[in-house]
Amino acid sequence: MTQTETACLRPSTTQDVADIIMDAAAAGHTLAVTGNGTRRGFGNPVAASRELTLGGLDQVVFYDPEDLVIRAGVGLTLDELESMLAQKGQYLPFEPPRYTGLYGTDGQRSTLGGAVATALSGPRRILSGAVRDFVLGVEGVNGQGDVFKAGGRTMKNVTGYDLSKLVTGACGTLAALTTVTIKVLPAPRAELTLVLPASTLEEDRALFEKIRALPLGVGGLARRVAVDGKCEVVIRVEGTVPGVAGNRQVLEALLPTPPRVVEQEESQALWRDIRELSCLAPKADELVWRVNLPATAMPAFVDEARKAGCINRFFVDWAGGIVFSTMRGVQPEVDALRYRKMAEKIGARAMILRAPDSIRSQFGAFPPVAAGVAALEQRTRAAFDPAGIFNPGRMTVQA
Amino acid sequence: MQMPEPSQDIMNQREALAVALRQIVGQEWVISDEAERRPYQCDGITAYMAMPLLVVLPGSAAEVQQILRFCHAKGIKVVPRGSGTSLSGGALPLEDGILLVTSRLCNVLEVDAANRVARLQPGVPNIKISEAVQHLGLCYMPDPSSQLISTIGGNVAENAGGVHCLKYGVTANHILGLEAVLMTGEVIRLGGAYLGAAEGEMDLMGVLTGSEGLLAMVTEIAVRLEPVPEVARVISMSFASVEQACACVGAIVGAGIIPAGLEFMDRKVLDAVSVLIRETFDSNTAALLLCELDGTAVEVDALVDVVSDVARTQGAIETKVSTTEEERQRIWSSRKLAFSAIGKLCPDYYCTDGTIPRNKLPEVLNKMADMSVKYGLDYANCFHAGDGNLHPIIMYDAAKPGDLEKAEAFGADVLIACVDAGGVLSGEHGVGVEKRDLMTHQFTDIDLNQQQMVKCAFDPAELLNPGKVFPTACRCAEFGRMHVRNGVVRFPDIPRF
Repeated sequence: MTQTETACLRPSTTQDVADIIMDAAAAGHTLAVTGNGTRRGFGNPVAASRELTLGGLDQVVFYDPEDLVIRAGVGLTLDELESMLAQKGQYLPFEPPRYTGLYGTDGQRSTLGGAVATALSGPRRILSGAVRDFVLGVEGVNGQGDVFKAGGRTMKNVTGYDLSKLVTGACGTLAALTTVTIKVLPAPRAELTLVLPASTLEEDRALFEKIRALPLGVGGLARRVAVDGKCEVVIRVEGTVPGVAGNRQVLEALLPTPPRVVEQEESQALWRDIRELSCLAPKADELVWRVNLPATAMPAFVDEARKAGCINRFFVDWAGGIVFSTMRGVQPEVDALRYRKMAEKIGARAMILRAPDSIRSQFGAFPPVAAGVAALEQRTRAAFDPAGIFNPGRMTVQA
Repeated sequence: MQMPEPSQDIMNQREALAVALRQIVGQEWVISDEAERRPYQCDGITAYMAMPLLVVLPGSAAEVQQILRFCHAKGIKVVPRGSGTSLSGGALPLEDGILLVTSRLCNVLEVDAANRVARLQPGVPNIKISEAVQHLGLCYMPDPSSQLISTIGGNVAENAGGVHCLKYGVTANHILGLEAVLMTGEVIRLGGAYLGAAEGEMDLMGVLTGSEGLLAMVTEIAVRLEPVPEVARVISMSFASVEQACACVGAIVGAGIIPAGLEFMDRKVLDAVSVLIRETFDSNTAALLLCELDGTAVEVDALVDVVSDVARTQGAIETKVSTTEEERQRIWSSRKLAFSAIGKLCPDYYCTDGTIPRNKLPEVLNKMADMSVKYGLDYANCFHAGDGNLHPIIMYDAAKPGDLEKAEAFGADVLIACVDAGGVLSGEHGVGVEKRDLMTHQFTDIDLNQQQMVKCAFDPAELLNPGKVFPTACRCAEFGRMHVRNGVVRFPDIPRF
């Protein structure tokens, strides 16, 4: 599929979305469903006869700061959403990354719907939870053109199946979402980051473990490559002004060397860089990987993968539970397979964030699941989209 | 309450089925004797009762697998049950179905402190998780009131909440991995025993959580563990009116504070508990809020000051702050004893759990007062105010003809008022059989069809916990061919249970 050959449909109401889908279903067309298309490079390449762009559904349905909830069209940009929340002292705790630096697209156009469809969570995942934990309700259109809603606007809700979670992270393969209802939280009043030189991977991981065992509400623990090329450990402390000051003292007493302290805006910028994987700076032909694994398995995994040439540059987030890395584009077919095997051996999940279409089509951007789960996923997909018109191939690889 | 018509043919096979199932789980773990089955007739909601065909207690996940495979082949219905504390009839037995009880699957399989995860069998009581990791300074956060008895498997099935879920989230937010057996006997493993183990997977784990035992039988759960907060303090705030107390709830959250718990008790509850705790409440008090704040000592002290200020601004008559752990426990005891105290005031009570946006609290509470007059039944209010989760306690006397029906109608009206206020039928108890027939008030037929299509993906034979949650059967076989345009009511001729 190339964009120039594809008819692009850009509705701005739920009813228009439903009509388009009903027509597509009747005509036997398939649809590439996107928000503003800033993350087409995420997941597997899609082969569809039409493009359905939901970026026009960008209205806020309601924002109720006192009730910590907002419902908006999927096309609302994350930047707009975040600035609207910031005006009320609130934020999205799951810190959605854009990753548009990887795809050469405009991060300012990344949408709320895209954040929900990709279910990518940022550095604060270790403290506050993932995207799925904040999606309270959705409205969408299934593959037959039926408008359905699921969930609601309250945090507690056990009323029928939680379809909101199911569609979160399904990359638009179940339904074309039209609005989502999100739980938001008050943003911390104060924030600072402690920075210290990195040690060995195992020592840094052990430090992370020690810090996480304390009830300090540390919302960021990463080991990244600094501008000067050296590695550093970064620890984010958030909360009330006295709370942050107190936690800072506790942490400083725990650290092997006195840290450099980065405050407020500078700290925020630092974590934005981590969120967007800036320190990886992948070369044009390099692949980019995201591997989830038990933190305790991380040091040995990284060592082995580096020795095997599967990791070129890397950094670690989520207190050691996630490794972002680049892979040289010299023999990507061979290395991709080896790297994934290495991950599978320890029960890790290796996701390709960026690679040429051919690699993602061949190996699948998402880590493979067991045959039984894959079959159940397929049946679930058919429950929403029996004819398979939404994003064909985005999450699955043809055997 | 109408349930699917039981099959006499299957009921006649009871003894033969018992023999076959004993081959799987062993002689003593299939209960067929009528007297021994009787304790399993109901769960936490005693108004609904049915005798299970057989009670089966597997000792391993492999046995669960064999039982389900066997039942699938024979077309036998299966109702999963943990400790039977469901407050919506989720574990209500079927006369032509076996009750699959997880009591023997009660081991903590692994505690991985370094990765902050525990792997559990479904029959582990909620409280045992925190007890098993206490020595490590860790805990499992979700704490439903039933936590001494209710099991983690049941918590997953109902997506249980609890007092602390305002700050820490509900069960779904703490599950990292699940092993489950489909009705066919096929085992599926989702996520895993570390944070992020489910990344890139379709969130089947998310849809299994809170599915009330209709999709699969969960046999293993990996949960995330959290460090025990350093300190917790509770503030008790009394108000001269319910409206003021409700406004204070919004003002606390509006001040940027997420308390660990925020509970509301009305005057009737306070009068009932004052006898038990030998404490009197100021006569001008119409409602009391309990606000718990936790974290580091410095952080909590700062928050206590802010909340105390908010309470003053909102016109609190009196504000008490716990300074020691004993004081904290004493202040909480009024809330913890509330339900048993009400139980002493009336022969029976009925409690539902609709949830509404916080700012609709006064509106819905006022409607409740009107309903009380309409039905001639007294009620009291004691609920999770922070997350708008109502627990109206409707008092009645089952011995009085028509009283139960009136209480049920009162409860249904409250739930409908919740939905009309933008809320939901159930915050934490689940739909079960209790709220099943109200689902059409919250969802359109299309919404419900979409949910039932998911059921068809998991259990097309509809053998797992049928008759719960949805007011109609799925008719999975027909769904594939159905397509009706928007707005047209589907299947108007479907027989409702």
